[in-house]
Amino acid sequence: MSDALPLPLQFTWLIPVYGFSGMLLSLPWAMGWIKRNGPRPAAYLNLLVTLLAVIHGSLVIREVVQIGPQHLDFAWFQAADLDLRIGFDLSLTNLAALELVTTMSLVCQVFALGYLDKEWSLARFYALVGFFEGAMSGVVMSSNLFISYFLLEMLTLSTYLLVGFWYAQPLVVTAARDAFLTKRVGDVLLLMGVVALSAMAGSMEFNDLYAWAGEAREQQLISPLAGTLLGIALIAGPMGKCAQFPMHLWLDEAMEGPNPASILRNSVVVTCGAIVLLKLMPIVALSPSATTVLLAVGAISAIGGALVAIAQVDLKRAFSYSTTSYLGLVFIAIALQKPGIALLFLFAHGLARALQFMSVGSIIATTNCQDLTELGGLGSRMPATSLAFLVGGAGLVGLLPLGCFWCYGLMVNNLLSESPLFAAVFLLTNLLTAANVVRVFRSVFLGRVMPKTRRTPEVIWWMALPMVSLAVIVLLLPLIMQRIDPVPGIASFPLPVALAVAGSGAAGVLIGCLLPQDQFWSRSSQPGLRVVQDLLASDFYTPVIYRSTIVNLVAGMARATRWFDLNVVKGLVDGVGRLSLATAEGLKLSVSGQLQSYVLTLIVAIVLLLGALQWIRLGF
Amino acid sequence: MLLSSLLLVPFLGTLALLLWPSSPSPQRLRLIAIAILSVQLLLSLVALGRFDVHQSGMQLVELQPWVPGIGLDYSLGIDGLSLPLVLINAALSLVAAVITRDIDKRPRIYFAMLLLISGAVNGAFLAQNLLLFFLFYELELIPLWLLISVWGGTNRTYAATKFLIFTAISGMLILGAFLGLALLTGSVDFSLTPVLSERLSMGGQLLLLGALLIGFGIKIPLVPLHNWLPDAHTQASTPVSVLLAGVLLKLGTYGLLRFGLGLFPEAWAKLAPALAIWAAISVLYGSLAAIAQTDMKRMVAYSSVGHMGYVLLAAAANTPVSLLGAVFQMVSHGLISALLFLLVGIVYRKTGTRDLEVLRGLLNPEKGLPFTGSLMIVGVMASAGLPGMAGFISEFLVFRGSITEFPVATLLSMVGSGLTAVYFLLLVNRAFFGRLAITPTTGDALVDTRLDVRLAPVAPRETIPAIALVAAVVVLGLLPSSLSRLSEVATTTMASASQLSSGLASGLASAVSAGGVG
Repeated sequence: MSDALPLPLQFTWLIPVYGFSGMLLSLPWAMGWIKRNGPRPAAYLNLLVTLLAVIHGSLVIREVVQIGPQHLDFAWFQAADLDLRIGFDLSLTNLAALELVTTMSLVCQVFALGYLDKEWSLARFYALVGFFEGAMSGVVMSSNLFISYFLLEMLTLSTYLLVGFWYAQPLVVTAARDAFLTKRVGDVLLLMGVVALSAMAGSMEFNDLYAWAGEAREQQLISPLAGTLLGIALIAGPMGKCAQFPMHLWLDEAMEGPNPASILRNSVVVTCGAIVLLKLMPIVALSPSATTVLLAVGAISAIGGALVAIAQVDLKRAFSYSTTSYLGLVFIAIALQKPGIALLFLFAHGLARALQFMSVGSIIATTNCQDLTELGGLGSRMPATSLAFLVGGAGLVGLLPLGCFWCYGLMVNNLLSESPLFAAVFLLTNLLTAANVVRVFRSVFLGRVMPKTRRTPEVIWWMALPMVSLAVIVLLLPLIMQRIDPVPGIASFPLPVALAVAGSGAAGVLIGCLLPQDQFWSRSSQPGLRVVQDLLASDFYTPVIYRSTIVNLVAGMARATRWFDLNVVKGLVDGVGRLSLATAEGLKLSVSGQLQSYVLTLIVAIVLLLGALQWIRLGF
Repeated sequence: MLLSSLLLVPFLGTLALLLWPSSPSPQRLRLIAIAILSVQLLLSLVALGRFDVHQSGMQLVELQPWVPGIGLDYSLGIDGLSLPLVLINAALSLVAAVITRDIDKRPRIYFAMLLLISGAVNGAFLAQNLLLFFLFYELELIPLWLLISVWGGTNRTYAATKFLIFTAISGMLILGAFLGLALLTGSVDFSLTPVLSERLSMGGQLLLLGALLIGFGIKIPLVPLHNWLPDAHTQASTPVSVLLAGVLLKLGTYGLLRFGLGLFPEAWAKLAPALAIWAAISVLYGSLAAIAQTDMKRMVAYSSVGHMGYVLLAAAANTPVSLLGAVFQMVSHGLISALLFLLVGIVYRKTGTRDLEVLRGLLNPEKGLPFTGSLMIVGVMASAGLPGMAGFISEFLVFRGSITEFPVATLLSMVGSGLTAVYFLLLVNRAFFGRLAITPTTGDALVDTRLDVRLAPVAPRETIPAIALVAAVVVLGLLPSSLSRLSEVATTTMASASQLSSGLASGLASAVSAGGVG
């Protein structure tokens, strides 16, 4: 690092530290050491440090625009041939992602002030969000696989604690467990990849790894099998983070956590996972089979997630599956080596999804209900919320010219020639998503007023302000995207493609309008349809499949080990003990008392011993 | 004289406690023990200050012939391998004395035994003579047996006897190997010089190394020689468990590195692939057995079996990075398992049970043990190898150092690391999450959700040792250079020396076979 760098750049490493320091600052309240005055000061302190992170980030962006991308590098740990470093790449893309993370964190923290108004452990929430934010802002800037892994694992930990925030509830307990273990499986696989790469390539910097991957490809350094295994190990981590099939289960269950954390999880956490995958892609691309796996995972997640979302009756789950589906689309874009579009997609999706989840949070905070069959007629009573919901939905669906529309257009245009099948996947996902958004909108905001929606005032301004501000940002998103990606421009696709995208969106809206809705008959009465509906509503029975395969396998092995330990190992030990006692008892009786017999025994023993020793000395 | 004082202080303390004229109260005895152990910790820190990190080989050496006839010298020295263990011994002995609060019988002997163990362990780590090491190795055995069999739980006699028999066999095998060395080489040289093929044939080397492996394998413990450990842990009181897991198991891994790898590098290289497989089996077996446990202490004990397997894996790989990882794993396992046993001890004292079927919702902020629970989450995460804490960097070094040598065994061990997350998450989820209840689950919802549980709060001073351990775990995780500085030179020298000699041996063998063919 040269001293010539401007001050904000030199201290960019502080940005993740702000988040972590927010956690430390909240600890006195979170641990109950300060009980007077309530936990609010912790929240204010966290807001302050997050604001600092946002401001610092924008200063860094201003400098980088002027002097170009920079790289920060610090030594962390060296031993023998191992050199672990902390590296940050200050490119505009990374910094844009950083600003997305810190801004969303700020917005969510303001939102949480309203949402968790009377929560007694508010300080704990803010401590965890600070930790969360710190880890995420490190991940997006990291230029180094080791640090990316390091921080991704910290994200796993903080997700676990945030999902388990209301740990006294039984559903939360299982949700937190599944969130941790699912991600941990991905993380352990990723660790295998990281360790193997570290041993093979030496450096952990992404740029060096790309160089190594190029060499490996040219000189056939690794066998195809090793390459495939490596690729799959590297994919597994982001797959877990982005809730892709078959590791998607946790995101749906994670909806048991507090909503402000769900906002972050569905928008920026999945973005972090996808960004890590983006950085790993040149290495994954070493193996064509790994790329195929990635494509398959993406396509299955995109369509499967969108289908499952339509069958959900839980407000939050209906959209969390949609997150899985959109990240599936991003995975396809990454696998087909379209990093620019993937990033734009992540950006547009992150903002719109966050807005959608904020409006969902407002509904839940007002009605204390997230069951679609018990909601209805909120439209006129909560105008700001319904507006936010509409804008968020429109931002996600490719119909109106908001963020995701342009991404869909770019992507479909790119795919038409090389792989039309995936273009169809995109259009189908768009259609299903549109249908889902309209379906939920109808049942929540239109229709009859239900018992639970009778007294529903608009939310307080702690929640309304961030929601409306974000709605404005989502509306202005195409302009921002135009500025981020001026060449070739976000509108660089022909009219027929635009019409195809809009057409799929419109068809989805139509289907959403026509879907039958009846609170009392939310499960279809026709047997054929009901089977399909049950299949989707219970997520292709994935939890059951998991329980009967992996969980059973591990539990069975654990039980078998325990049996072996108790009956074979312990049994053997105890048996030997008993045997020696018994022989001692027996020997007691065979003692003759004659001196000669003792001497004889001694001599025999000595002869045997010496003979054995002599044999050993000659033998070897 | 510095190293001798590390032995003299605890031994003289033992004598002083035993011969103290009046009969002081247990509280006063505890304070005296704490004072003596603090002096020991200070002296260890002085040794740390005097230690030159750039120098390989033994430092602060003290040599005094004792019984030259049988090759027994009073020879002490310290290097990058033993220094961290001496420090951790001093720290954890102090912790064990501090957390001894309600001692009901014979406090005088209890504290004297604690000091005796601490001194003996120091002696074993510092000894530069095989017989001297063996003396200290055996010296630690009797007081620990007493600590389990007198101050243990209900089934203590069984556990203590088992411990005694297992460890006695371990001692015999080690002594046998040492004496066998003298016999087979025909010289009574018990100093720590590698035994190469010029002095001893490969068969003899393998035989002696095998005895050492089983001897130290019992102590570590490695599957299937682990059977004494879960029983000893469940029956021992909390401070004894802290010492047992944190310090005494390290005697086994230390012995493995110092005497197994150090004395018989050629035979070691020959056995290494088998050792790596043994390590992987040990890791997986320990982890799977831990999943099925319902007693928190047994679970932590089996996790020790699994986590000590990493050290064997690293030693088998014998690369500079993996050996450094072995030292890291010894230190971090010492800290983390001590922390976990300490916290389980607090839970046991407050609730009267360690049964995961019975405990629920201990995180409850007013009536439960919220702070203990938070520390427990930190502890289990550290043990599961979450970054930012000591467990991660240790495991990373072990895996990174071993994967080039033994890829399959390393990957299997990494699966074990994933399984650690499973059982410790189950522990936290069952005992700390949910609604507070301390009842066996009867199936009757009304009984199961009884709300009248109110646990006595944990006084802040009771959590100080745990906080100190958490701080050490986090500092070591964030600034691993603090430890690698001390050990790197030693482990690198060790790896290159043993690789050199085994390389020479294979070179020699191939030369001989080539000559034979020619």
